[in-house]
Amino acid sequence: MNAFLSILRGFPRYLWTGWGAVASILLFVALWELGHQRYGDLVLPAPLETLQRVGQMLSSQGIREDLLITLKRAIWGFLICVGIGSVLGLAAGLFVTASVMSRPIVSVLMGMPPIAWIVLAMIWFGMGDLTVVFTVVVASLPIVFVGALQGTRTLEGHLKEMAQSFRTPLPMMFTDLYLPHVFSYLFPAWISALGMSWKIVVMAELLSTSDGLGAALAVARTQLDTTGALALVVMLVGSLLLIEYLLMEPIKREVEQWRE
Amino acid sequence: MPDAIRPVSHAPIQAQRPASGASHAASCRRSGAKHDDAYPRVQVPRLLAYAFRPIFILLPAYMALSILLWGLFWAGYLPLPYLHNPLGWHIYEQMFGVASAGIIAFILTVMPEQYSGVKPVVGLTLLGIVALWVLGRLAFWLMDPLGAGVVALIHLPLLIWVLALVAKPILQDPLRRNLGLLACVVAIVIIQAWYFASIMGWAQTDFMSILRVALGAFMVLVLLALRRINTGAINEWLEEQDIDDTFLARPPRYNIAILCVLLFTLAEFLMPRNPILGWLGLATAAAILNTLNDFFIDEANILLRSYVLPLFLILVLMAAGYALMGFDYLHDGIYGINHFRHFLTTGVFGLSFLMVMVIIGTLHTGRRLVTNRWVDACVVLVIAATLLRGAIPFSPAAARWLYLGSALAWTLAFVIYLWRFYPWLSGPRADGLPG
Repeated sequence: MNAFLSILRGFPRYLWTGWGAVASILLFVALWELGHQRYGDLVLPAPLETLQRVGQMLSSQGIREDLLITLKRAIWGFLICVGIGSVLGLAAGLFVTASVMSRPIVSVLMGMPPIAWIVLAMIWFGMGDLTVVFTVVVASLPIVFVGALQGTRTLEGHLKEMAQSFRTPLPMMFTDLYLPHVFSYLFPAWISALGMSWKIVVMAELLSTSDGLGAALAVARTQLDTTGALALVVMLVGSLLLIEYLLMEPIKREVEQWRE
Repeated sequence: MPDAIRPVSHAPIQAQRPASGASHAASCRRSGAKHDDAYPRVQVPRLLAYAFRPIFILLPAYMALSILLWGLFWAGYLPLPYLHNPLGWHIYEQMFGVASAGIIAFILTVMPEQYSGVKPVVGLTLLGIVALWVLGRLAFWLMDPLGAGVVALIHLPLLIWVLALVAKPILQDPLRRNLGLLACVVAIVIIQAWYFASIMGWAQTDFMSILRVALGAFMVLVLLALRRINTGAINEWLEEQDIDDTFLARPPRYNIAILCVLLFTLAEFLMPRNPILGWLGLATAAAILNTLNDFFIDEANILLRSYVLPLFLILVLMAAGYALMGFDYLHDGIYGINHFRHFLTTGVFGLSFLMVMVIIGTLHTGRRLVTNRWVDACVVLVIAATLLRGAIPFSPAAARWLYLGSALAWTLAFVIYLWRFYPWLSGPRADGLPG
């Protein structure tokens, strides 16, 4: 509760630090405008036109539904991979044997291209939600697993010994020693997995479903609607940035305060 | 004399220079009191005892008077038939005429503080510099009989002379603390020469484009100067308030803002009216707002305090100016870029010069930065002048009253400054130190 209140108190100041990022993004948009003027509408539509299209799309019922479907799939896939990956990674980190055994499997999973998973999932589960969510889970899982594994494996022994010599109660050991350390590894892994989920969900939808933003992107491609395609990309990236910087990053800063 | 600002309590007010002692040593460590050892051992009139003294008396008077004259000319009461392009000359004089004095006073006052051994410019040399500046102003208003060539010959050597006086310690500084500032003033002199070359037909560039480039260079100069002023003045103020924290103007934030201002200026010169300026304007505004993060310190909320809020608002006005211009470039329905540019001129220039004159006029006359309601009133008037001037595109029917209101608020601000600070600027230092 205290951590939550602390995040809320520091939120306005945190938001203000975002101006630097806004400046960088706007400089990038200026570069995009230059590209548009150089190569024309078909290759690169104007940023303002694209943003106006985003506004139009968000006011249309169909795209709003597609956006919700995509967000639902991405969030489900992300939550499942976070749940399974964190538990398995933490468990593997507690036992050296499990840690040694799991490493090659993780390497195999990380080396497998997501597109191959999509093809396999389409064969196994057909066209639909399950294929997309499965692909998101299987592609993001190794990132979370490795983060959790490293977090557990790198717990400092002498800190543990010191806590034990002071007869620190187990709940305090957990909240003040284990959790902050493991979290500092786990949370960046979750953020990477979130980014991965967003990318995979669109790719999976583009190939295996008839709804969601990925499917809308496929339609824009067939109609050579570059503005529409870019508007969809802007919506996706925008939603990811909002979740990452308005939700995940403040929590990360709060839980990593002990490092300073 | 402003009664809310009290003289230094631990150093007795005296006309003579204290020879030694703890209070003297303590005062020497403060801002505005580090030049003592290098101060020339000569008797000079009080008004020529330091560069800021004559200039900060003449500058606010000229800032008030020139805008009043300009307002009368614009309203048709004062004929100035010689000005073929009155708007261009108005912009030129408000930038180069006003800013040159501000730059000279700032540089010549700050250099002896930053570099030990650098002698403050006093006496006849200072009189020569001030006389050249005054001659430059007279020449501007008498341009018709004199001709642009003569005016250029009077205007151009002024900053070059001052640069020659301060360049050596800056170039020899191994920390390169003021190299950016020096480069920026050199660029401003080159732009000034370019402007005159354009007026006299020696350069093909449109002089309005050159003036826009000049404004960009001045904004960079303001950012570079603010980085130093904010750090010095706010830390001085924090110490006065017994707040155990340090204000840091972080260079990377200012560097991003400067880069954005330069990109906007370059794009406006090379691609006028291009929509790319819209995004660059918004990026510049965001980068300037990013510098405001420095003001959020852990130990206390300093934002709403006297002396801190105006320094904060200079950057807010600069961000507002670039944001509104950016918005205008992207939005077909608004035609107010030159009105919005007044956020940078009336707002940023006005408030920066006011605050530089207030801070230097207080610290360098041996006093402390304490809340002063007259300074607050001046700040409010400059901001009001800016908002009235910037509101013209939104209310064109009231344009005449908005112009007038803006000019009056601006004039009043600098008249109040002169009235309250003249006794300090013309009198001895409160701590008895020379200068």
